[in-house]
Amino acid sequence: MSKIILIEDTETIREELKTFLTRYGYDVVAPTDFDNIINETLGEEPDLILLDINLPVFDGYYICREIRKVSDVPIVVVTSRDNEMDELMSMNLGADDFITKPYNTQILLARIESILRRVQGSNNGEILAYNDLKVNLSNGSLTFKGMTVELTKNELKILSCLIKNKGKIVSRDDLMDFMWNSDIFVDDNNLSVNVTRLRKKLDGVGMKESIETRRGLGYILP
Amino acid sequence: MSIKDYLKDRTLFLLVNFILFIVICGIMLLVNISHNIIFLIFCIWFFPVFSYIIVEFIKQRNFYSESNNIMESLDQKYLLTEIMKEPDFIEGKVFYDLLKQANKDMHEHVKKYRDMQSEYREYIETWVHEIKTPISSTRLIIENNQNDTTRNIHHEIKKIEEYIEQVLYYSRSNNVSKDYIIKEVPLATLVKNVIKKNSRDFISKSISVDIETVEGTVYSDVKWLEFILNQIIGNSIKYIRESNGNVKVSTTRNENNIVLMIEDNGIGIAEKDLNRVFEKGFTGENGRKYGRSTGIGLYLCRKLAEQLGLGLALTSKPGEGTKVSIIFPLGSVNLLG
Repeated sequence: MSKIILIEDTETIREELKTFLTRYGYDVVAPTDFDNIINETLGEEPDLILLDINLPVFDGYYICREIRKVSDVPIVVVTSRDNEMDELMSMNLGADDFITKPYNTQILLARIESILRRVQGSNNGEILAYNDLKVNLSNGSLTFKGMTVELTKNELKILSCLIKNKGKIVSRDDLMDFMWNSDIFVDDNNLSVNVTRLRKKLDGVGMKESIETRRGLGYILP
Repeated sequence: MSIKDYLKDRTLFLLVNFILFIVICGIMLLVNISHNIIFLIFCIWFFPVFSYIIVEFIKQRNFYSESNNIMESLDQKYLLTEIMKEPDFIEGKVFYDLLKQANKDMHEHVKKYRDMQSEYREYIETWVHEIKTPISSTRLIIENNQNDTTRNIHHEIKKIEEYIEQVLYYSRSNNVSKDYIIKEVPLATLVKNVIKKNSRDFISKSISVDIETVEGTVYSDVKWLEFILNQIIGNSIKYIRESNGNVKVSTTRNENNIVLMIEDNGIGIAEKDLNRVFEKGFTGENGRKYGRSTGIGLYLCRKLAEQLGLGLALTSKPGEGTKVSIIFPLGSVNLLG
C-alpha cells in the first residue's frame, strides 16, 4: 500500500480527501500541525506528497524546496491558484505535477497512480488482481489460472474500473465517465458491446459469471 | 478659420475706427482741409490698422490649423496639450493653460476610476480563488457520499463552477495582456480536455462525440482557449434536445490558417438572431424559449478571441444545428512548429 502525505490546511478538504484516498487503497497521513511540517513529513517516509500552496507557517513552495533538498519523493502540488506562474514556480522547485482546484477526483487519482507507477517501477501499479484474476496494465492482457488472453484498450479500462471498485456497483454513467476521463469517448451502445465481449473473454479463460449486471443500477464484480 | 470669421470677430474695433474717422473727416471738411490731406490721413490711420489685422490673422490661422492637424492625427485626442506648440499670443496662452489644467484634472479623474477598476478586479480574482476551496470541499464530500441527492448537487455545483469561471474571465477580458502566456497547444489535447470536463453532461444526455480528425498545433494561451471552447461546447450540449445528439469537432488546415470547427445537431439559431449572438446580453429566441441564457458566454468568447488574435465565426440553421469555427491565423510565430 502506498503511503501518501496530505499537506492541506482546510479541514474539510483534508478530511474528505483522506477518506477518498483511503477508499481507493492508499495509506493517507494528514498532519494538522504545520509548525514542524517538513521533519514530520520526512519522518513518515511517504511514497508521495500532496501539497497545498497556501499554508500557515511555511508556504507550499518553501516546503517543496526544503523536501527536495533531502528527498526525491514525488510531490504533487494542489492549489486553487489558477495561474501559469504558480505552475512554473512549482515545477522549478521540483514538484512532479500541478493540479488546480476544484479538481476532478478521478483525474487526481489517475495522476497519483501514474506518478506512483513511474516512480515505483512496473512491479507495483501495473498489475491489478481480483481473486485469481490478474490484469497486466502494461501489456493489456489478463491471466486466470495460467490462461492468458489479450484485451482491447476499452475492455482493459472497463475491467480495471470494475476491479478497482470491486464489491461495489458501478453505474453505467460512472463507468462511461471513467472511460471518457481516459480519452475513450464511448457511447452507450459501444459500452454494452464492450462489456459483452469482455464477458466472453472472461468466460473463455474459465472465469464463469464474472461481471454481474444489476438492472437499472450498473455492473459489479462481486 | 476664414478671414470673414476673423473680420467678423473684429467688427467692433473696425466700426469704432470708421466712425471716429468719419467724424474727424466731417470736421476736416467743415474747416475746408483739402481732400488730398484727408486721404493722406486716411492712409496713415488705416494702413497700420489693416496690416496689424492681417499679420495677426496669419499668425492665428497658422496656429489653429496646426493644432487642428495635430488633433486629427492623434489617436488619443486628450494628449493634444502635450503635443501642440505653446501659443505665443496672450489669449492662446491663457486658454492653453486652462486646457492643461482641465486635462490634468481629467487624468486624475480617470486614474481614480482605473484604480477602482483594478482594485475591483483584484478583489474578484481573490474571491474566485477563495470560493474554489469550499467548492473543492463540496465536491469531495459528494464523492465520498455518492447517492442520487449528491449526484444532483454535483450537477448544480458544476454550473456554479462555470458561472465562476465566467466571472473570472469577464474581469480578465479587459486587460488580457497581463495574464496570457503563449505556448504550443496541441489541438487534440485541448479538445479532449474540454470534452472530459463536460463528460457527465455528454453521458447523461447520450450525446456522442466525434473528434477523430482533430490535429495540428497552434500557439496561444491554453487556459483562454479552454475557456472559449468550453463555452462553445457547453452551448452545444445545452441546445441539443433530441435523443441522437452529436457533437463533432474537426480541424482544417488552410494556407494561412487552421480552423477548429465545432458542429452540433442541436436546435440551431433563428436567422434573425444570427448576427447578434456575439452581443453582450443578447439571449435571442432560444434564450427566451429555453431559459438559462445570460448572453455573456459568446460575448466573452468573441472578446477573448479578439484579444488572442483569433477569428470566431458562427453559422446555424434552425432545426439542423450550429457550427462554430475558431480560426487560428498562421503567422510567422505560428509557423515555428
